[in-house]
Amino acid sequence: MNPDNEVVHAANALTSWISGVSAEIKELSRNVALLLERNLAGKSKVNKAVLVGLDELSREFLTKNSFAVGAGTFFAAESVEEGGRFLEWCSRKESGAIGRLDFDLTPGSNRYYDYEKLPFFSTAASTGEQTLWGPYIDYLGFEEYILTFAAPFFVHGNFMGVAGCDIRLTDLEPLIMPNLRLIRGDAALINASNRVILGNSGMYLVGERIKSESPNQHRLALDVPYLGLSLIYTTPPQSS
Amino acid sequence: MATPTPFQSQIYRSLPEIERADAIVDRITKAIALGLLKVGERLPPEAALSDMFGVGGATLREALAELREQGVVETRRGRSGGTFVVKQPRTQADAIREWFLSTSISEIRDIGDEHSAVAAATVRLACERAEAHDVDRLQELARALVLATTPEVRASADSRFHIELAVSAQSPRLANAEIRLQEETVQQLWTPFAVALDPEAATAEHLELVRAVAQDQPEKAQKLVLEHIRRNIFYLIDTKLTLGYAQSNQDGQ
Repeated sequence: MNPDNEVVHAANALTSWISGVSAEIKELSRNVALLLERNLAGKSKVNKAVLVGLDELSREFLTKNSFAVGAGTFFAAESVEEGGRFLEWCSRKESGAIGRLDFDLTPGSNRYYDYEKLPFFSTAASTGEQTLWGPYIDYLGFEEYILTFAAPFFVHGNFMGVAGCDIRLTDLEPLIMPNLRLIRGDAALINASNRVILGNSGMYLVGERIKSESPNQHRLALDVPYLGLSLIYTTPPQSS
Repeated sequence: MATPTPFQSQIYRSLPEIERADAIVDRITKAIALGLLKVGERLPPEAALSDMFGVGGATLREALAELREQGVVETRRGRSGGTFVVKQPRTQADAIREWFLSTSISEIRDIGDEHSAVAAATVRLACERAEAHDVDRLQELARALVLATTPEVRASADSRFHIELAVSAQSPRLANAEIRLQEETVQQLWTPFAVALDPEAATAEHLELVRAVAQDQPEKAQKLVLEHIRRNIFYLIDTKLTLGYAQSNQDGQ
Protein backbone atom coordinates (compact mmCIF):
# COMPACT_ATOMS: atom_id res chain seq x y z
CA MET A 1 0.00 0.00 0.00
CA ASN A 2 1.53 3.38 -0.87
CA PRO A 3 1.65 6.10 1.81
CA ASP A 4 -1.27 8.08 0.40
CA ASN A 5 -3.53 5.05 0.35
CA GLU A 6 -2.58 4.19 3.92
CA VAL A 7 -3.49 7.69 5.06
CA VAL A 8 -6.78 7.76 3.19
CA HIS A 9 -7.66 4.35 4.54
CA ALA A 10 -6.85 5.42 8.12
CA ALA A 11 -8.68 8.75 7.71
CA ASN A 12 -11.79 6.94 6.45
CA ALA A 13 -11.72 4.47 9.33
CA LEU A 14 -11.32 7.30 11.88
CA THR A 15 -14.04 9.39 10.23
CA SER A 16 -16.39 6.46 10.27
CA TRP A 17 -15.80 5.69 13.96
CA ILE A 18 -16.10 9.33 15.09
CA SER A 19 -19.18 9.92 12.92
CA GLY A 20 -20.71 6.95 14.70
CA VAL A 21 -20.16 8.61 18.07
CA SER A 22 -21.51 11.90 16.70
CA ALA A 23 -24.65 10.19 15.46
CA GLU A 24 -25.19 8.56 18.87
CA ILE A 25 -24.86 11.94 20.60
CA LYS A 26 -27.23 13.55 18.13
CA GLU A 27 -29.77 10.85 18.86
CA LEU A 28 -29.30 11.26 22.61
CA SER A 29 -29.91 15.01 22.39
CA ARG A 30 -32.96 14.42 20.19
CA ASN A 31 -34.37 11.91 22.69
CA VAL A 32 -33.71 14.32 25.55
CA ALA A 33 -35.54 17.09 23.68
CA LEU A 34 -38.52 14.82 22.93
CA LEU A 35 -38.78 13.70 26.55
CA LEU A 36 -38.63 17.28 27.82
CA GLU A 37 -41.20 18.48 25.35
CA ARG A 38 -43.53 15.74 26.62
CA ASN A 39 -42.81 16.35 30.32
CA LEU A 40 -42.95 20.14 30.07
CA ALA A 41 -46.42 19.94 28.49
CA GLY A 42 -46.43 23.59 27.52
CA LYS A 43 -44.49 25.00 30.48
CA SER A 44 -41.28 26.80 29.63
CA LYS A 45 -39.02 26.12 32.66
CA VAL A 46 -37.62 22.83 33.87
CA ASN A 47 -38.30 21.63 37.42
CA LYS A 48 -37.57 18.32 39.16
CA ALA A 49 -40.77 16.69 37.86
CA VAL A 50 -39.76 17.37 34.27
CA LEU A 51 -36.60 15.30 34.72
CA VAL A 52 -38.50 12.03 35.18
CA GLY A 53 -37.13 9.43 32.80
CA LEU A 54 -34.05 11.41 31.88
CA ASP A 55 -31.63 9.18 33.78
CA GLU A 56 -33.03 6.22 31.85
CA LEU A 57 -31.81 7.85 28.60
CA SER A 58 -28.27 8.14 30.04
CA ARG A 59 -28.35 4.54 31.20
CA GLU A 60 -29.57 3.30 27.82
CA PHE A 61 -26.84 5.28 26.09
CA LEU A 62 -24.11 3.81 28.30
CA THR A 63 -25.48 0.29 27.98
CA LYS A 64 -25.46 0.55 24.21
CA ASN A 65 -22.18 2.45 23.81
CA SER A 66 -19.42 0.71 25.74
CA PHE A 67 -16.81 3.27 24.57
CA ALA A 68 -18.35 5.96 26.82
CA VAL A 69 -17.68 6.16 30.54
CA GLY A 70 -20.32 8.80 31.27
CA ALA A 71 -23.36 10.32 29.59
CA GLY A 72 -26.17 12.70 30.37
CA THR A 73 -27.67 16.14 30.22
CA PHE A 74 -26.71 19.58 31.49
CA PHE A 75 -29.34 22.34 31.51
CA ALA A 76 -28.77 26.00 30.80
CA ALA A 77 -29.44 28.01 33.97
CA GLU A 78 -32.04 30.14 32.18
CA SER A 79 -34.10 27.12 31.17
CA VAL A 80 -34.45 25.96 34.78
CA GLU A 81 -36.93 27.18 37.43
CA GLU A 82 -35.40 29.59 39.91
CA GLY A 83 -33.16 28.02 42.52
CA GLY A 84 -32.54 24.95 40.41
CA ARG A 85 -29.51 24.17 38.27
CA PHE A 86 -30.19 20.77 37.01
CA LEU A 87 -28.23 18.08 35.42
CA GLU A 88 -28.60 14.38 35.01
CA TRP A 89 -25.35 12.51 34.52
CA CYS A 90 -24.60 8.81 34.79
CA SER A 91 -21.23 7.14 34.76
CA ARG A 92 -19.86 3.65 34.56
CA LYS A 93 -18.21 2.55 37.76
CA GLU A 94 -15.13 0.35 38.11
CA SER A 95 -17.41 -2.67 38.62
CA GLY A 96 -19.25 -1.92 35.36
CA ALA A 97 -22.39 -0.81 37.21
CA ILE A 98 -23.96 2.42 35.96
CA GLY A 99 -24.80 5.04 38.59
CA ARG A 100 -25.60 8.72 38.95
CA LEU A 101 -22.73 11.12 39.32
CA ASP A 102 -23.26 14.12 41.58
CA PHE A 103 -21.52 17.44 41.24
CA ASP A 104 -21.29 20.39 43.58
CA LEU A 105 -23.53 23.03 41.99
CA THR A 106 -23.39 25.60 44.78
CA PRO A 107 -21.85 28.80 43.41
CA GLY A 108 -19.01 29.97 45.62
CA SER A 109 -18.35 26.57 47.17
CA ASN A 110 -14.86 25.12 47.02
CA ARG A 111 -15.78 22.36 44.65
CA TYR A 112 -18.33 24.29 42.56
CA TYR A 113 -18.64 22.69 39.13
CA ASP A 114 -19.51 25.68 36.94
CA TYR A 115 -20.37 23.65 33.85
CA GLU A 116 -21.88 26.52 31.86
CA LYS A 117 -18.39 28.03 31.63
CA LEU A 118 -16.81 24.81 30.40
CA PRO A 119 -16.10 24.68 26.66
CA PHE A 120 -18.13 21.53 25.98
CA PHE A 121 -21.19 23.46 27.23
CA SER A 122 -20.42 27.03 26.20
CA THR A 123 -19.34 26.14 22.66
CA ALA A 124 -22.41 23.99 22.02
CA ALA A 125 -24.54 26.81 23.49
CA SER A 126 -23.01 29.58 21.38
CA THR A 127 -22.73 27.71 18.07
CA GLY A 128 -25.86 25.57 18.36
CA GLU A 129 -23.87 22.66 16.95
CA GLN A 130 -22.08 19.56 18.17
CA THR A 131 -18.72 19.97 19.87
CA LEU A 132 -15.81 17.84 20.86
CA TRP A 133 -13.73 19.06 23.77
CA GLY A 134 -10.52 17.56 25.08
CA PRO A 135 -8.25 15.92 25.93
CA TYR A 136 -8.74 17.61 29.32
CA ILE A 137 -8.79 16.75 33.01
CA ASP A 138 -12.36 17.22 34.13
CA TYR A 139 -11.51 18.69 37.54
CA LEU A 140 -14.47 18.70 39.96
CA GLY A 141 -16.48 16.73 37.39
CA PHE A 142 -15.51 13.19 36.47
CA GLU A 143 -11.91 14.04 37.36
CA GLU A 144 -10.20 11.91 34.74
CA TYR A 145 -8.38 12.59 31.48
CA ILE A 146 -11.23 12.57 28.98
CA LEU A 147 -12.83 13.76 25.76
CA THR A 148 -16.37 15.12 25.85
CA PHE A 149 -18.74 14.95 22.88
CA ALA A 150 -21.72 17.28 23.34
CA ALA A 151 -24.74 18.44 21.35
CA PRO A 152 -27.20 21.21 22.22
CA PHE A 153 -30.91 20.48 22.45
CA PHE A 154 -33.88 22.75 21.83
CA VAL A 155 -37.55 22.69 22.78
CA HIS A 156 -39.80 24.74 20.46
CA GLY A 157 -36.68 26.39 19.08
CA ASN A 158 -35.35 27.48 22.50
CA PHE A 159 -31.90 26.36 23.62
CA MET A 160 -32.36 24.30 26.80
CA GLY A 161 -29.00 22.68 27.43
CA VAL A 162 -26.49 20.15 26.25
CA ALA A 163 -26.45 16.35 26.09
CA GLY A 164 -23.21 14.47 25.75
CA CYS A 165 -20.84 11.74 26.72
CA ASP A 166 -17.34 11.36 28.17
CA ILE A 167 -14.71 9.01 26.78
CA ARG A 168 -11.57 8.24 28.76
CA LEU A 169 -8.39 8.65 26.72
CA THR A 170 -7.39 5.28 28.13
CA ASP A 171 -10.51 3.66 26.70
CA LEU A 172 -10.24 5.49 23.37
CA GLU A 173 -6.72 4.24 22.65
CA PRO A 174 -7.48 0.57 21.91
CA LEU A 175 -10.51 1.62 19.83
CA ILE A 176 -8.77 3.91 17.36
CA MET A 177 -5.09 2.94 17.59
CA PRO A 178 -5.54 0.11 15.05
CA ASN A 179 -6.73 2.76 12.56
CA LEU A 180 -3.75 5.02 13.23
CA ARG A 181 -1.40 2.06 12.99
CA LEU A 182 -2.48 1.57 9.40
CA ILE A 183 -0.10 4.42 8.70
CA ARG A 184 3.53 3.30 8.85
CA GLY A 185 5.03 6.76 9.46
CA ASP A 186 4.29 8.95 12.48
CA ALA A 187 0.67 10.07 12.52
CA ALA A 188 -1.85 11.51 14.95
CA LEU A 189 -5.47 12.51 15.35
CA ILE A 190 -5.59 16.26 16.12
CA ASN A 191 -8.41 18.28 17.71
CA ALA A 192 -9.75 21.69 16.69
CA SER A 193 -7.25 23.49 18.95
CA ASN A 194 -4.36 21.71 17.26
CA ARG A 195 -3.59 19.31 20.10
CA VAL A 196 -2.96 15.58 19.85
CA ILE A 197 -5.82 13.25 20.80
CA LEU A 198 -3.86 10.11 19.96
CA GLY A 199 -0.65 9.43 18.06
CA ASN A 200 0.64 6.15 16.64
CA SER A 201 4.13 6.52 18.15
CA GLY A 202 6.07 8.47 20.77
CA MET A 203 6.48 11.29 18.23
CA TYR A 204 2.99 12.70 18.81
CA LEU A 205 1.95 12.34 22.44
CA VAL A 206 -1.59 12.88 23.65
CA GLY A 207 -2.24 16.46 24.77
CA GLU A 208 0.75 18.03 23.00
CA ARG A 209 0.26 21.03 20.74
CA ILE A 210 1.44 20.68 17.16
CA LYS A 211 3.74 23.64 16.81
CA SER A 212 5.64 23.87 13.58
CA GLU A 213 4.47 22.40 10.37
CA SER A 214 7.57 20.96 8.80
CA PRO A 215 7.59 20.31 5.05
CA ASN A 216 7.32 16.58 5.76
CA GLN A 217 4.26 17.01 7.94
CA HIS A 218 0.91 16.85 6.20
CA ARG A 219 -2.61 17.46 7.36
CA LEU A 220 -5.89 15.96 6.24
CA ALA A 221 -9.16 17.32 7.63
CA LEU A 222 -11.61 14.64 8.73
CA ASP A 223 -15.08 14.90 7.30
CA VAL A 224 -17.01 15.04 10.58
CA PRO A 225 -19.08 18.26 10.74
CA TYR A 226 -18.27 20.91 13.40
CA LEU A 227 -15.66 18.89 15.33
CA GLY A 228 -12.62 20.40 13.60
CA LEU A 229 -10.65 17.15 13.61
CA SER A 230 -7.71 16.38 11.39
CA LEU A 231 -5.13 13.72 10.81
CA ILE A 232 -1.49 14.71 10.58
CA TYR A 233 1.22 12.44 9.28
CA THR A 234 4.89 12.65 8.49
CA THR A 235 6.39 11.31 5.30
CA PRO A 236 10.09 10.51 4.98
CA PRO A 237 12.10 13.37 3.40
CA GLN A 238 12.32 13.11 -0.39
CA SER A 239 15.62 11.63 -1.44
CA SER A 240 17.45 14.02 -3.73
CA MET B 1 14.14 -1.95 66.95
CA ALA B 2 16.53 0.71 65.71
CA THR B 3 15.02 3.80 64.11
CA PRO B 4 14.36 2.90 60.47
CA THR B 5 16.50 4.59 57.86
CA PRO B 6 14.70 6.91 55.39
CA PHE B 7 14.71 4.05 52.86
CA GLN B 8 13.15 1.68 55.32
CA SER B 9 10.53 4.28 56.26
CA GLN B 10 9.71 4.56 52.58
CA ILE B 11 9.22 0.81 52.17
CA TYR B 12 7.16 0.58 55.33
CA ARG B 13 5.17 3.81 54.87
CA SER B 14 1.48 3.68 55.76
CA LEU B 15 -0.89 2.42 53.11
CA PRO B 16 -3.58 4.34 51.24
CA GLU B 17 -5.32 1.32 49.70
CA ILE B 18 -8.12 -0.90 50.85
CA GLU B 19 -6.58 -4.14 49.73
CA ARG B 20 -3.91 -3.79 52.30
CA ALA B 21 -2.53 -7.30 52.50
CA ASP B 22 -1.93 -7.32 48.73
CA ALA B 23 -0.34 -3.90 48.95
CA ILE B 24 2.07 -5.12 51.64
CA VAL B 25 3.04 -8.12 49.52
CA ASP B 26 3.57 -5.80 46.57
CA ARG B 27 5.62 -3.27 48.54
CA ILE B 28 7.96 -5.87 50.01
CA THR B 29 8.32 -7.77 46.74
CA LYS B 30 9.27 -4.57 44.92
CA ALA B 31 11.70 -3.53 47.67
CA ILE B 32 13.49 -6.87 47.31
CA ALA B 33 13.54 -6.56 43.53
CA LEU B 34 15.03 -3.06 43.82
CA GLY B 35 17.70 -4.33 46.20
CA LEU B 36 16.45 -2.13 49.06
CA LEU B 37 15.85 -5.33 51.05
CA LYS B 38 18.46 -8.03 50.64
CA VAL B 39 18.35 -11.81 50.82
CA GLY B 40 19.19 -12.82 54.40
CA GLU B 41 17.85 -9.56 55.84
CA ARG B 42 15.42 -9.77 58.74
CA LEU B 43 12.17 -7.81 58.51
CA PRO B 44 11.19 -5.79 61.59
CA PRO B 45 9.07 -7.66 64.20
CA GLU B 46 5.40 -8.18 63.33
CA ALA B 47 4.16 -5.61 65.85
CA ALA B 48 6.48 -2.96 64.42
CA LEU B 49 5.46 -3.88 60.87
CA SER B 50 1.74 -3.62 61.51
CA ASP B 51 2.39 -0.35 63.27
CA MET B 52 4.38 1.11 60.38
CA PHE B 53 2.02 -0.14 57.69
CA GLY B 54 -0.92 1.02 59.81
CA VAL B 55 -2.73 -2.33 59.56
CA GLY B 56 -4.07 -4.84 62.07
CA GLY B 57 -2.17 -7.98 63.02
CA ALA B 58 -4.47 -10.20 60.97
CA THR B 59 -3.87 -8.23 57.75
CA LEU B 60 -0.12 -8.30 58.30
CA ARG B 61 -0.10 -12.06 58.98
CA GLU B 62 -2.13 -12.59 55.81
CA ALA B 63 0.50 -10.66 53.81
CA LEU B 64 3.41 -12.56 55.39
CA ALA B 65 1.65 -15.87 54.72
CA GLU B 66 1.37 -14.91 51.05
CA LEU B 67 5.06 -13.95 50.90
CA ARG B 68 5.96 -17.30 52.54
CA GLU B 69 3.74 -19.06 50.03
CA GLN B 70 5.72 -17.38 47.22
CA GLY B 71 8.93 -18.50 48.92
CA VAL B 72 10.18 -14.93 49.20
CA VAL B 73 10.36 -14.88 53.02
CA GLU B 74 10.68 -17.50 55.72
CA THR B 75 9.68 -17.24 59.37
CA ARG B 76 11.98 -18.86 61.93
CA ARG B 77 11.10 -19.42 65.58
CA GLY B 78 13.24 -18.89 68.64
CA ARG B 79 15.55 -16.27 70.07
CA SER B 80 17.20 -15.40 66.79
CA GLY B 81 13.93 -15.94 64.95
CA GLY B 82 11.85 -13.57 62.86
CA THR B 83 10.87 -13.19 59.23
CA PHE B 84 13.77 -13.29 56.78
CA VAL B 85 14.08 -12.52 53.09
CA VAL B 86 15.18 -15.82 51.54
CA LYS B 87 14.75 -15.35 47.81
CA GLN B 88 14.73 -12.71 45.08
CA PRO B 89 11.24 -12.73 43.66
CA ARG B 90 11.49 -13.85 40.02
CA THR B 91 11.07 -11.07 37.45
CA GLN B 92 7.43 -11.38 36.73
CA ALA B 93 7.54 -11.21 32.97
CA ASP B 94 3.85 -12.00 32.81
CA ALA B 95 2.99 -9.28 35.29
CA ILE B 96 5.08 -6.81 33.31
CA ARG B 97 3.50 -7.84 30.01
CA GLU B 98 0.13 -7.33 31.67
CA TRP B 99 1.27 -3.85 32.79
CA PHE B 100 2.07 -2.95 29.18
CA LEU B 101 -1.28 -4.25 27.95
CA SER B 102 -3.34 -2.53 30.63
CA THR B 103 -1.51 0.82 30.76
CA SER B 104 -2.47 3.31 28.06
CA ILE B 105 -0.08 5.63 26.23
CA SER B 106 -1.65 8.63 27.94
CA GLU B 107 -0.89 7.04 31.32
CA ILE B 108 2.70 6.26 30.30
CA ARG B 109 3.09 9.86 29.10
CA ASP B 110 1.74 11.02 32.47
CA ILE B 111 4.30 8.94 34.39
CA GLY B 112 6.95 10.64 32.24
CA ASP B 113 5.44 14.07 33.00
CA GLU B 114 5.67 13.47 36.74
CA HIS B 115 9.11 11.91 36.51
CA SER B 116 10.39 14.87 34.46
CA ALA B 117 9.13 17.33 37.08
CA VAL B 118 10.66 15.41 39.95
CA ALA B 119 13.94 14.69 38.18
CA ALA B 120 14.45 18.25 36.91
CA ALA B 121 14.14 19.72 40.39
CA THR B 122 16.16 16.91 41.93
CA VAL B 123 19.12 17.23 39.63
CA ARG B 124 19.28 21.02 40.02
CA LEU B 125 19.37 20.60 43.78
CA ALA B 126 21.98 17.86 43.43
CA CYS B 127 24.21 20.36 41.58
CA GLU B 128 24.04 22.67 44.58
CA ARG B 129 24.18 20.12 47.35
CA ALA B 130 26.05 17.00 46.27
CA GLU B 131 29.34 16.37 48.08
CA ALA B 132 32.48 15.02 46.46
CA HIS B 133 31.89 11.58 47.96
CA ASP B 134 28.35 11.57 46.49
CA VAL B 135 29.87 12.09 43.07
CA ASP B 136 32.29 9.17 43.51
CA ARG B 137 29.48 6.96 44.69
CA LEU B 138 27.22 7.98 41.79
CA GLN B 139 29.96 7.16 39.29
CA GLU B 140 30.38 3.75 40.87
CA LEU B 141 26.59 3.16 40.74
CA ALA B 142 26.45 4.29 37.12
CA ARG B 143 29.12 1.75 36.17
CA ALA B 144 27.27 -1.01 38.03
CA LEU B 145 24.60 -0.85 35.33
CA VAL B 146 26.94 -1.72 32.47
CA LEU B 147 28.54 -4.49 34.54
CA ALA B 148 25.16 -6.09 35.27
CA THR B 149 24.50 -9.24 33.28
CA THR B 150 20.79 -9.91 33.83
CA PRO B 151 17.68 -7.75 33.38
CA GLU B 152 16.91 -8.02 37.11
CA VAL B 153 20.32 -6.71 38.15
CA ARG B 154 20.16 -3.97 35.49
CA ALA B 155 16.77 -2.83 36.79
CA SER B 156 18.14 -2.82 40.30
CA ALA B 157 21.30 -0.90 39.31
CA ASP B 158 19.39 1.64 37.21
CA SER B 159 16.88 2.46 39.92
CA ARG B 160 19.59 2.53 42.56
CA PHE B 161 21.50 5.17 40.57
CA HIS B 162 18.46 7.44 40.25
CA ILE B 163 17.44 7.00 43.88
CA GLU B 164 20.96 7.83 45.12
CA LEU B 165 21.06 10.85 42.79
CA ALA B 166 17.85 12.02 44.49
CA VAL B 167 19.40 11.27 47.88
CA SER B 168 22.34 13.53 47.01
CA ALA B 169 19.84 16.36 46.40
CA GLN B 170 19.00 16.05 50.11
CA SER B 171 15.23 16.42 49.79
CA PRO B 172 13.53 13.47 51.51
CA ARG B 173 10.25 14.24 49.73
CA LEU B 174 11.88 14.25 46.30
CA ALA B 175 13.82 11.08 47.15
CA ASN B 176 10.56 9.38 48.14
CA ALA B 177 8.93 10.51 44.91
CA GLU B 178 11.89 9.10 42.95
CA ILE B 179 11.63 5.75 44.77
CA ARG B 180 7.93 5.54 43.97
CA LEU B 181 8.52 6.36 40.29
CA GLN B 182 11.35 3.83 40.05
CA GLU B 183 9.17 1.14 41.62
CA GLU B 184 6.54 1.90 39.01
CA THR B 185 8.62 1.60 35.82
CA VAL B 186 12.14 0.23 36.20
CA GLN B 187 11.22 -3.44 35.70
CA GLN B 188 9.32 -2.51 32.54
CA LEU B 189 12.41 -0.76 31.17
CA TRP B 190 14.80 -3.66 31.57
CA THR B 191 12.64 -6.71 30.95
CA PRO B 192 13.41 -7.42 27.30
CA PHE B 193 10.33 -7.88 25.13
CA ALA B 194 10.72 -6.42 21.68
CA VAL B 195 14.01 -4.54 21.52
CA ALA B 196 16.14 -4.55 24.67
CA LEU B 197 17.31 -1.26 26.14
CA ASP B 198 21.07 -0.74 25.73
CA PRO B 199 22.83 -0.68 29.13
CA GLU B 200 25.93 0.96 27.66
CA ALA B 201 23.97 3.92 26.32
CA ALA B 202 22.12 4.31 29.62
CA THR B 203 25.39 4.11 31.56
CA ALA B 204 26.96 6.76 29.33
CA GLU B 205 24.00 9.03 29.99
CA HIS B 206 24.23 8.42 33.73
CA LEU B 207 27.96 9.24 33.75
CA GLU B 208 27.42 12.42 31.75
CA LEU B 209 24.76 13.41 34.27
CA VAL B 210 27.15 12.82 37.16
CA ARG B 211 29.76 14.98 35.42
CA ALA B 212 27.28 17.84 35.05
CA VAL B 213 26.37 17.53 38.75
CA ALA B 214 30.05 17.41 39.76
CA GLN B 215 30.75 20.56 37.72
CA ASP B 216 27.68 22.31 39.14
CA GLN B 217 26.03 22.85 35.74
CA PRO B 218 22.30 22.81 36.59
CA GLU B 219 21.08 23.76 33.09
CA LYS B 220 23.05 21.00 31.46
CA ALA B 221 22.15 18.44 34.15
CA GLN B 222 18.46 19.23 33.80
CA LYS B 223 18.60 18.97 30.02
CA LEU B 224 20.39 15.62 30.24
CA VAL B 225 18.00 14.12 32.77
CA LEU B 226 14.94 15.26 30.81
CA GLU B 227 16.33 13.71 27.63
CA HIS B 228 17.09 10.53 29.55
CA ILE B 229 13.51 10.29 30.82
CA ARG B 230 12.08 11.18 27.44
CA ARG B 231 14.07 8.39 25.84
CA ASN B 232 12.86 5.92 28.48
CA ILE B 233 9.24 6.97 28.01
CA PHE B 234 9.56 6.59 24.21
CA TYR B 235 10.97 3.14 24.80
CA LEU B 236 8.02 2.20 27.05
CA ILE B 237 5.54 3.54 24.47
CA ASP B 238 7.27 1.64 21.66
CA THR B 239 7.15 -1.55 23.69
CA LYS B 240 3.50 -0.89 24.50
CA LEU B 241 2.71 -0.42 20.79
CA THR B 242 4.60 -3.59 19.86
CA LEU B 243 2.96 -5.73 22.53
CA GLY B 244 -0.50 -4.20 22.33
CA TYR B 245 -1.00 -3.36 18.66
CA ALA B 246 1.36 -5.58 16.71
CA GLN B 247 -1.55 -7.02 14.78
CA SER B 248 -2.91 -3.79 13.35
CA ASN B 249 0.13 -3.00 11.17
CA GLN B 250 -0.03 -6.38 9.51
CA ASP B 251 -3.74 -5.99 8.87
CA GLY B 252 -3.01 -2.86 6.87
CA GLN B 253 -0.53 -4.50 4.55
